[in-house]
Amino acid sequence: MKDLAVKVFRFDPECDESPHYQTYLVTVNEGARVLHVLHAIHDDHDPTLSYRYCCGSGQCGSCAVRVNGQPVLACMEEARDGSIIEPLDLPVVKDLVVDMEPYLRQISSLVPGEEFRMPTAEEVEEIKPLRSCIECLACVSACPALKVIDFAGPAAMREEMRLALDPRDSGDRVTEAVRDGLFTCTSCQACWKVCPKDIQIPGKAIEKLRALANKKGLTLPRHQEVSQLVRETGRSVTRTEPTFMEQVGEILEPYGPVKATVGFFVGCMYNQRLPQTAHDAMEVLRRNGIRVIIPKEQVCCGSPLIRTGQLDVLDTLKRRNIDAFVFRNIDTVLTMCAGCGSTLKNDYKTPFRVVDINELLTRYGIEPPARLPLKATYHDPCHLMRGQGIRDLPRELITQVVDLVEMPSICCGSGGGVRSGIPEEAAALAEMRRVEIEKTGADIVISSCPFCEFHIMEHTDRPVKNVTTLLLEGYREKDRKKASPEPC
Amino acid sequence: MRSDGVDTAHVLVIGSGGAGVRAAIEAAGYGETLLVSKTLAGKGGCTTMAEGGYNAVLREEDSCEIHFEDTLKGGAYLNDRDLVQTLVREAPERMADLLRWGAVFDVTDSCEVAQRPFGGQRFPRTCYAGDRTGHEMMATLIDRLDAAGARVENEVTIITLLQDGERVSGAIGLDKSGEMRIILADATVLATGGGTRIYDISTNSSSGTGDGYALAYKAGAELIDMEQVQFHPTGAVYPYDARGRLVTEAVRGEGGILKNSLGERFMGRYDPERMELSTRDVVSRAIATEILEGRGTEHGGVYLDVTHLERKQIETKLPVMLEQFLKFGVDIREEPMEVAPTAHHIMGGLRISPEGQTTVPGLYACGEVTGGVHGANRLGGNALADTQVFGKRAGEAAGRAQERRKEADQAVISAEENRISAFYDGDISPSTVVRSLRTAMWDGAGIFRTGPALEKTREIIIHLLMLRPRAASPANLAECCTVQNMLVTASLVVRGALLRKESRGAHVRQDIVQTWDMQHSPYGHTFLSRSREGIETEVQE
Ligand SMILES: Cc1cc2nc3c(=O)[nH]c(=O)nc-3n(C[C@H](O)[C@H](O)[C@H](O)COP(=O)(O)OP(=O)(O)OC[C@H]3O[C@@H](n4cnc5c(N)ncnc54)[C@H](O)[C@@H]3O)c2cc1C
Ligand code: SF4
Ligand code: SF4
Ligand code: FES
Repeated sequence: MKDLAVKVFRFDPECDESPHYQTYLVTVNEGARVLHVLHAIHDDHDPTLSYRYCCGSGQCGSCAVRVNGQPVLACMEEARDGSIIEPLDLPVVKDLVVDMEPYLRQISSLVPGEEFRMPTAEEVEEIKPLRSCIECLACVSACPALKVIDFAGPAAMREEMRLALDPRDSGDRVTEAVRDGLFTCTSCQACWKVCPKDIQIPGKAIEKLRALANKKGLTLPRHQEVSQLVRETGRSVTRTEPTFMEQVGEILEPYGPVKATVGFFVGCMYNQRLPQTAHDAMEVLRRNGIRVIIPKEQVCCGSPLIRTGQLDVLDTLKRRNIDAFVFRNIDTVLTMCAGCGSTLKNDYKTPFRVVDINELLTRYGIEPPARLPLKATYHDPCHLMRGQGIRDLPRELITQVVDLVEMPSICCGSGGGVRSGIPEEAAALAEMRRVEIEKTGADIVISSCPFCEFHIMEHTDRPVKNVTTLLLEGYREKDRKKASPEPC
Repeated sequence: MRSDGVDTAHVLVIGSGGAGVRAAIEAAGYGETLLVSKTLAGKGGCTTMAEGGYNAVLREEDSCEIHFEDTLKGGAYLNDRDLVQTLVREAPERMADLLRWGAVFDVTDSCEVAQRPFGGQRFPRTCYAGDRTGHEMMATLIDRLDAAGARVENEVTIITLLQDGERVSGAIGLDKSGEMRIILADATVLATGGGTRIYDISTNSSSGTGDGYALAYKAGAELIDMEQVQFHPTGAVYPYDARGRLVTEAVRGEGGILKNSLGERFMGRYDPERMELSTRDVVSRAIATEILEGRGTEHGGVYLDVTHLERKQIETKLPVMLEQFLKFGVDIREEPMEVAPTAHHIMGGLRISPEGQTTVPGLYACGEVTGGVHGANRLGGNALADTQVFGKRAGEAAGRAQERRKEADQAVISAEENRISAFYDGDISPSTVVRSLRTAMWDGAGIFRTGPALEKTREIIIHLLMLRPRAASPANLAECCTVQNMLVTASLVVRGALLRKESRGAHVRQDIVQTWDMQHSPYGHTFLSRSREGIETEVQE
């Protein structure tokens, strides 16, 4: 047996004006789950605590709650001391019970067609991963898109794709999905990461539905323009100044001894729109012993096309990019765009290793920068945190230069083609970021993705900087101090 | 809803498991159908949790006769022959319904529904969707329920059946906030599932509290073979709060083997022919004996091992098991599971005709709340088939019921109001009562039973029935009713167990020496109702 203290969200709309949090000290068995903590509160402290559960074994999807902000199944999540237990981010009925029915009703049903054909073994294998959904709505709770725009949500999109794959279904699932907000998804991956059944909704449902929509001519006009641009220029954005690659040579030697050699995959945004940030990063690499090779024939990684379901030129892009590095015998390819990094790691089969710049710098260790008297907050890029599982490394770098104040990790709204396709949604999500940034009281915002940086910049009055730009400023401060030492 | 706050329907279905939803789908074809469920429809009950599969004769080489014989033999010949005939004949048709409605079962390379071997069956006839078969069925049925046009009332707990004379004419329920709901219907289908939550260690969902047995008993219905409680051989033993959680028979179906702490594959001593795939009663007793005789594991179980199987086979055929154990820190691809018996299924229940008609007019029943289909021991995979075959039949019979004038009996409603408001003045927490009951049942009416232990358990239940559970708020009223239902169900199990003075199937009386084997028992069903109780004596053929 062990004692745990937990803080629980309490709200009875019948008599409470607003929710409050109550702390309970409970005694539970070793290995107890969050559900058993709730049982202990109910049985030993306050029988009026309301919460849902049924199977107790992760099979019915009744019991999802948020623990320390993360949606989890109460019956499966191990209980920990000091946890905060709250309802899902859905309308609350009472305490931890939320109104699930409106969302469950949005999930489509199979409509048998005239002719019956059993799915083949291959079809069943394709459907199965989408079918294991227990409709717990953890994903709906986590989805940023449906908080700002009409969207049936990830669980419903998953079912649309499952139905689209089933030969017995007679519905037009693709058109239905488009109507229900298929293009509002920002590819943030939040739904997948909280799903207790590990259902890869963005990749296995949403992108697949978008590809089917593409075949039906339902791709958004703005997305078609991007695809056109890639076909014509090899790049997904237009250039506003000389590009990064036009400004640098093919090989950048470090200032000191060589610790490592990498090939640099620049990406469209840093090449065409934010070249200065890429220069800053190169400077930091050179100071830290990294030799950088920049093959000039590289093109767009294809991410904007994959996310929007336009796959026709994808294979050509992939081949060109892979060849560019393989031709130079490069075994490690560096990315500093979170989107490119995630795409090369997850959507490509590369004969070389792909590392994000935060990984590279922390792996080899960096020359210590000087501290700057600033308070910063950090925005987690979806494609870095969820797409590549990199959360702590940028923080390790940032805190060497400035103090860090955390804010919740939520999508900024720029991904998945939403910034170009549905700008009002992208703006609404960025506005939510602005509010969170404001709350931290930070002087600057740091991130590690050009899409996030560019997008957030437009919506906050604080400067938005890349991790490497911040490091470089730390180095400049250090150099300045060295040049004119302060009197003691 | 009528202006007097009374809800009416042609057919009222109570319970949203596989049986209830199947009944509602069928009944909706005959008239307005209302399905009421204690939980969110599709999420409650044990059907969603069913992992292993659904038995149906689908192949040339198999036959309904063999399925019939297997079921009877597994059931220690206590089964109701007519019900078993119906089950085996119609299980394939009901499977076809599910497939037509979109169920995603595993298929073979030639597009036929795949089947796996299950305990006590001579042919691999268990159809499955990985190890989430019940969940697959529920998802399909809920889809269909929408299309069928039945109305659904979620999170309403039925606490009493209404009667017009003897005839059941609807029910009274309590919603989430404790508001009373009156529902009148021409026919009522009880599909509340099982009740092994009356035991300390159980596989059942939170709704497996036996409400249906108690509601029907109070309404005068007759129940049979309530002593027949199946202890599933393989429940989890660790961590403590997860004890009893089912480790599906599919683990053994896929080739899992049982070993004691000495590393012996002990089933050879108990059933050398069928080994791990013997019937559940035999395997449960074997495991319990190993543990009692000191050959158990540290956590009080035995080992169930699949590490010799291909990783891929474990990942694709047993994904839920893999995931659940991983959550508790055990990778079943690398190390054995620890398991011990757990209370799983009540084979006994309401006496029904093949049409699902109970002994009380106006009341139909289907699924685990009924008795007779599975005799003294259920074969794995037969319960899911049971929900579909008898769900359809009960729904149809209820649908055909005559229209009647629907009037609520004010006196009954007031009496019920008084009964439940007394819970506000109760003096003991419902969870305390439940805890005492569960321990008493596990100790006194478990796998091995004796007359004196059963008598003692009966006394404890009588004592618990006299306590007055307290409702802290209106929302807690239903909980108090549930506790009382659990006590009634437990007393039915114990009374049945005292009546059956023989060991038969899952029911073992260690204090009785018998000279007959199962097939030649002089006894038939035990029966219990408010007006009579006893045991049928008949010579089985
Ligand atoms: C973990 C587990 C695994 C199993 N695996 C298999 C298997 O592989 N194959 C197989 O054949 N069988 C299996 N079984 C057995 C089988 O699942 C059940 O016997 C069967 O599903 C029962 O179905 P049902 O519809 O009768 O009841 P349930 O599915 O239990 O549904 C009962 C419904 O009644 C509702 N209810 C209860 N009381 C009330 C009330 N007072 N008011 C309103 N509503 C109420 C509940 O909310 C629920 O919706 C398994 C059982 C368990 C527990
Ligand atoms: S990827 Fe993000 S935006 Fe898209 S459905 Fe999932 S949670 Fe919502
Ligand atoms: S997709 Fe996953 S998170 Fe979403 S409802 Fe289904 S099981 Fe839950
Ligand atoms: S209680 Fe069923 S998933 Fe948690």
